[in-house]
Amino acid sequence: MALDIKPTRSELIKLKGRIKQTRNGYKLLKMKRDGLFHEFRTLLTEMIAAKQELTDAYRLAKTRIDLANAIEGGLAVRAAAIANSAHPEVEVERRNIMGVVVPNVSGTNLRSTFEERGIGFIGSSPYIDEASDAFGDLIEKMVKAAEMEATLKRLLQEIEATKRRVNALEFKVIPELEDAKVFIQLRLEEMEREETFRLKRFKNK
Amino acid sequence: MEIAVVGSPEFTLGFQLAGLSHLHNPSDEEAMASVLRTLLNSKEVGIVVVDSASLARLPERLREQLSASVSPTVLGIGTEEDTTLRETIRKAIGVDLWA
Repeated sequence: MALDIKPTRSELIKLKGRIKQTRNGYKLLKMKRDGLFHEFRTLLTEMIAAKQELTDAYRLAKTRIDLANAIEGGLAVRAAAIANSAHPEVEVERRNIMGVVVPNVSGTNLRSTFEERGIGFIGSSPYIDEASDAFGDLIEKMVKAAEMEATLKRLLQEIEATKRRVNALEFKVIPELEDAKVFIQLRLEEMEREETFRLKRFKNK
Repeated sequence: MEIAVVGSPEFTLGFQLAGLSHLHNPSDEEAMASVLRTLLNSKEVGIVVVDSASLARLPERLREQLSASVSPTVLGIGTEEDTTLRETIRKAIGVDLWA
């Protein structure tokens, strides 16, 4: 540490104030980190379940479409897919968790209706309908999982940044300020001793 | 915002059947990487769905970019569970909390 500080009483008072302020900031950041972590843990449990559900939904949808392909033929499934006029969309809004802006994803028109499927009663097949329903269900789960995943990523970024700040304050900034305080105190005591000694020498002369 | 699906025609077919129209069928891994890079910079796409098996074959650097992206959020879907988020958590926290 470069000790380019003036060893004066006013500097010492300023330094004490800074140390107090830094310790307050450190405590607040530590509380923020713990709060974020708590929020993260709660969401993580939900996310693990959502991911599992998503994988299960995909497996089911895959089985259904394979069945439709096998029974109705690839061409019929492809034709049904092209005929679908539904247009699922997602809207991303923002919400705030302890100062972290996270996305709030909501979907519109995620499941296609019978009219939107555009194949009519004659061209329709229960296997294709079931596959379409399974994929509609999968898309709904995907939207939910995407929101949670994005939230978790944002929280992780913020936890990492806060953790780095807390560590920097704990292991770098505060110890350096404390060292500077000790240095000034020692220097002031030394100056006081020199002054006393000088006075004694004057008295003796 | 739209939902984009990237993968083989067999992978995207089901999503097309459910009404999604933003589909990409890249022929090889390089084409897939370039499609994903374009989608990452797109403002009209909210969610990108990728086959988790293809996702695992992408270059590490791109995979990191994809897993860090929030808008759009990249979701790996497959019969096997996608582990990119698990890895991200392990790197950021230092402990594997996915249990």
